[in-house]
Amino acid sequence: MATAVAEPMAVKTRTRVPLPPALRRPGWYRAAMFEVLGLGFAFGITALIRWLQHIHPVVSGNAVTTVGLFTVPLFFLVGLGVGDYWFYWASGRATRPEDHSSHGARSWRDYFRVNTDHKVIGIQYTVTSFFFLFVGGLLAMLIRVQLAKPGMQFLTPEQYNGVFSVHATVLIFLFVIPVFAGLANFVLPLMIGAPDMAFPRLNALSYWLLPLGGIVMLMSFLAPGGSFAAGWTAYAPLSTSMPLGQLFFSIGVQFAGFSSIFTALNFLVTIITMRAPGMSFFRMPLLVWANFSTSLLVVIATPFIAASQFFVLLDKALGFHFFDAFVGAGKNGNVLMYQHVFWFYSHPAVYIMMLPGFGIISEILAVKARKPIFGYRMMAFSLLAIVVLGFTVWAHHMFVSGMQPWIRIPMMITTAIIAVPTGIKVFSWLATLWRGVLHLDTPMLFALGFLTMFTLGGISGVMLAMIPFDIHVSQTYFIVAHIHYVLFGGSLMTIFAGIYYWFPKMTGRMFDDRLGKLHFWFTFIFANLTFAPMHLIGIQGMPRRVAEYAEKFAGWNLFISFSAWILGFSTLIFLYNMVASWRAGPRASANPWRALTLEWQVSSPPPIFNFDAVPTVVGGPYEYGVPGAVHGIFKKPAESAPVAAGTFSGSPRQEQHE
Amino acid sequence: MEAASIAHDHHGPPPAHRSSRVHAPTLGMLLFIMSEVMIFGAFFTAYFFIRVVTKDPWPAHGTVFPEGPTGVNTGILLASSLTLHWALVSVKKGNRFGLKAGMVATFLLGLTFLTLQVNEYIHLGFAPHDSAQATVFYSLTGLHGAHVVVGLGALIMVTVRAFRGHYTADEHQGMEVPGIYWHFVDIMWVIVYTAVYVL
Amino acid sequence: MVVVAVISTAILIPLALIVPWFPAKASVQAGNIHTLYDVLLIATVPIFVVVMTTVGFSIWKFRMRPGQEKQDGAPIHGNTRLEIVWTILPAALLLGMCSYAYTVLRSNEDSKRGEMTVNVTERQFAFEFSYPRAGGKSVVSPVLYLPKGRPVVFKITSLDVIHSFFVPEFSEKLDAVPGITTTLRVTPTRTGSYPAECTELCGAGHSLMRAAVNVVTPAQFAAWLAKQKSGAPPPIGSAGTPPGEQG
Ligand code: HEA
Ligand code: HEA
Ligand code: CUA
Ligand SMILES: [Cu+2]
Repeated sequence: MATAVAEPMAVKTRTRVPLPPALRRPGWYRAAMFEVLGLGFAFGITALIRWLQHIHPVVSGNAVTTVGLFTVPLFFLVGLGVGDYWFYWASGRATRPEDHSSHGARSWRDYFRVNTDHKVIGIQYTVTSFFFLFVGGLLAMLIRVQLAKPGMQFLTPEQYNGVFSVHATVLIFLFVIPVFAGLANFVLPLMIGAPDMAFPRLNALSYWLLPLGGIVMLMSFLAPGGSFAAGWTAYAPLSTSMPLGQLFFSIGVQFAGFSSIFTALNFLVTIITMRAPGMSFFRMPLLVWANFSTSLLVVIATPFIAASQFFVLLDKALGFHFFDAFVGAGKNGNVLMYQHVFWFYSHPAVYIMMLPGFGIISEILAVKARKPIFGYRMMAFSLLAIVVLGFTVWAHHMFVSGMQPWIRIPMMITTAIIAVPTGIKVFSWLATLWRGVLHLDTPMLFALGFLTMFTLGGISGVMLAMIPFDIHVSQTYFIVAHIHYVLFGGSLMTIFAGIYYWFPKMTGRMFDDRLGKLHFWFTFIFANLTFAPMHLIGIQGMPRRVAEYAEKFAGWNLFISFSAWILGFSTLIFLYNMVASWRAGPRASANPWRALTLEWQVSSPPPIFNFDAVPTVVGGPYEYGVPGAVHGIFKKPAESAPVAAGTFSGSPRQEQHE
Repeated sequence: MEAASIAHDHHGPPPAHRSSRVHAPTLGMLLFIMSEVMIFGAFFTAYFFIRVVTKDPWPAHGTVFPEGPTGVNTGILLASSLTLHWALVSVKKGNRFGLKAGMVATFLLGLTFLTLQVNEYIHLGFAPHDSAQATVFYSLTGLHGAHVVVGLGALIMVTVRAFRGHYTADEHQGMEVPGIYWHFVDIMWVIVYTAVYVL
Repeated sequence: MVVVAVISTAILIPLALIVPWFPAKASVQAGNIHTLYDVLLIATVPIFVVVMTTVGFSIWKFRMRPGQEKQDGAPIHGNTRLEIVWTILPAALLLGMCSYAYTVLRSNEDSKRGEMTVNVTERQFAFEFSYPRAGGKSVVSPVLYLPKGRPVVFKITSLDVIHSFFVPEFSEKLDAVPGITTTLRVTPTRTGSYPAECTELCGAGHSLMRAAVNVVTPAQFAAWLAKQKSGAPPPIGSAGTPPGEQG
């Protein structure tokens, strides 16, 4: 597959079948047709196998669903035309010259087809994953309704377990991880002076896998027995003894997982082989470094969650015995094995959800403080240190799991040590603020909000690393507080910051800064009011994942619920701001923030092929305040004038492009 | 990349600067193989926990893993790596017959391995749900079997293209990169065979 | 700024310490853990304050004022000495925290003299406590009775999915894993009745999977134990002995 994309691409495939053109052309009609075929295939294959094995009845709903959950989305992709080029390549006919018919967006329709332009894919990714933020957030609202009062109301326990499981799964696998991939997809090639990603078609496949995984997961609500309800951690043997809905998790995760693996290796190859001349590794913007590190994590760690879910799938669907402790004397499966495999992915995953954010913050702080990043090299090295350490700490999620006790000790130490590289980053950011000229607009506010909230979340994390304390608070709301301080105060804050920061570049319009600030203050205040009290009730002993709790926690929970609702409401301000500004905001200049990095040196939105000529990089990306400092030079004589830092706003180039 | 191939197209993107000597598709394939190795790593973790941590007898009482026949089968798979290499060497020398013959031979050897493996499944006499050991046995060998299927898919594409006159002495990444994958599948089998059957 | 930082630290630490974080302290282990938490607070509050005050101070001191729109900050690229300091200091602090946590862990989990064994068997969605007696017989009860001051070692296991055994007042918790038996040590120090909770998601009944824990005087305990018939049928379904041992 990797080879395929290296060769020129074909126009449209001609299927020999005499079908109406609408069904022959790649697109939604053909996709719909193929979906039906996929279902039929699942139906046939299961029936055949069961018939051969003399299992009756030959047709089983569960079997068809299980296979169908794989085949229907895959057939859909084929129908949509994601694979057309590869099939053409495989058929071995003469290769046609590239005509870029699949590249770039000239009308809104181009966002709804297979598109190989990294900018289009970036926006597809971002918008899709924000849809999932609202789904996951809405589910959070349901959680808070249920927990507003002690005692059962509104949701049954099964439904409640389902709601928070889907809440977490959607927000982790379908929002935070992909939205970072989306932002990087748009920005990263521009930043390193590349015309596109290394494997544009693989890139398109990565994107289209995402909504499919999402649909699979959300469909689980329709499954008999309700949605998957074993938590986002899906511990066996609970998950293997769950109703059908659990399969939607196990299989949905496979799609999301492959999506992020493909994107990650695409990023790695792009960064390694497509940097502009002069863009040495130590002249790369830190966002590129961050995504480089993240991609390493993804490529190495993600297969483990794929495997863990295959185990669950095999145990559930085919009666394997990975996790069955009671097969019989001397024939036992191993229950704890699931947790080791799962966390070997899911701890690195939490850094997959944080490192790109670190990159975003580095970009924004340097530009908005008008200063070079403090200790650039240490910033890069600390990222790599986190990547390495990230693989050595997984069992800190298992301090109370009953595994061999000695494993806890080395894990405690490595876990604590991870705070050092992270600390280096936090302190360097603080030093970057020092003696700068702080432009306190929306992106900057979110960046500063991130600094404070993430530090708190990180510190609570370090406390959790201390085994005896973790033994007390593990599986209580203290964990929930930690989760949300790092994921909401950490990841989501950086995501908002990044969205506001690159909004002008992505859409060519300015957002409403007043609404943005309003959104920030609502979010910052009510996020803290929502999640800070959880530390207290957690230590007091309120377990997590309960639909009903002791009377003594009633007061705080009501308070939390109200804050959470306002917090949710605040995201509507954001939604309105984005939609309104995109449709009718004032036009954005090429470089409204007077930034040096390359993506700001082209028009907003960038031309379809990014650059007329690949720029040459002659200096660091953050040389603000250094008189006459230059990052990139554009070859075209008309565009040779470099942006000197701190001299004038905008770049001379924007005129040419508008 | 493709950009390079249409450097003079005015409507296309500018030629991307090659900031590294490594061939992008090869690098991509190597990274993908890194993930594949980790997938096997996870399955070997299961193997480790069932066999070492739970200290179950290996294989389960009353079952045997046919070490000898599978050993022969291993030889067959390794032979396919040699023929594949021969095909590559031939195309580099511009010897199209060697290319075609090599690809066909590789594909057939791979197919033989697969059929023999399926045949083994049929005659083993125990099923995955009989014991945890059987579970691990079937999932490790099965995982590898799935990779063989994918590999065969890649091989047949390359073979078709070879017969349709693609690949020349200086333009043959199209077969080299899938080749890397096939070699990986072979090496991985040696590890699986050693861990499951021999040890 | 330094002054502000010092003052707010001086205010925040006592504040953080008087907050009634924990439920009642009912075991030796709980005591140690509460102290550990206080130490952690004292160690980390200053760090938090440093970050907050630096951010606050920068906003107040360095924010862009009218007329500075086109100005840039001071081109400072780094300061090796400073970077070394903020690498070494946290590292040292963290290692200190780890070693202290380790000593707490040891004193909490080392086996004590005169321990009494209680088997905890869990299933969806109930606890079952059994007190081994001479002659293989044992007293089985859905409610946990413990003598005050006597070290107890719980042998915990599960009959279906993963559960866990948590008594907030004891500050101790451990999962009940099917197939293996896990060991938890507690020395109750305060009479009273507390809840035992299952904190590991185990299905629809998880929220309601609770049991009562009564810490009583040794005399009362002996009396209670005597009243129970050995080998009485388990009140909640049949437990049976879980297969498989610590693996
Ligand atoms: C973005 C996601 C993210 C991030 C970045 C982190 C970061 C960290 N996490 Fe977190 N964690 C989660 C997401 C994340 N976590 C989730 C989702 C769970 C729950 C999973 C579940 O069960 O559902 C979890 C659970 C979790 C546990 C298991 C708790 C339990 O279940 O019993 C532990 C235990 O050690 C832990 C520790 C840490 C540590 C030490 C860090 C460190 O990386 C933090 C480092 C950062 C700082 C420390 C702040 C900045 C540093 C300084 C200012 C320097 C000076 C600081 C000191 C000297 C203290 N986390
Ligand atoms: C990125 C990750 C992320 C994010 C952003 C959030 C956001 C939120 N989370 Fe989530 N959460 C997790 C990741 C995340 N969470 C994880 C991993 C778990 C563990 C699950 C497990 O145990 O398995 C968890 C668990 C969890 C619990 C514990 C459940 C339990 O253990 O019983 C709770 C309880 O309050 C909670 C609440 C919230 C709230 C109030 C928000 C709010 O911030 C949400 C605010 C955002 C919105 C609301 C956007 C949508 C807004 C609209 C749609 C507009 C309409 C608004 C209204 C109708 C008011 N979360
Ligand atoms: Cu048993 Cu939760
Ligand atoms: Cu972790």
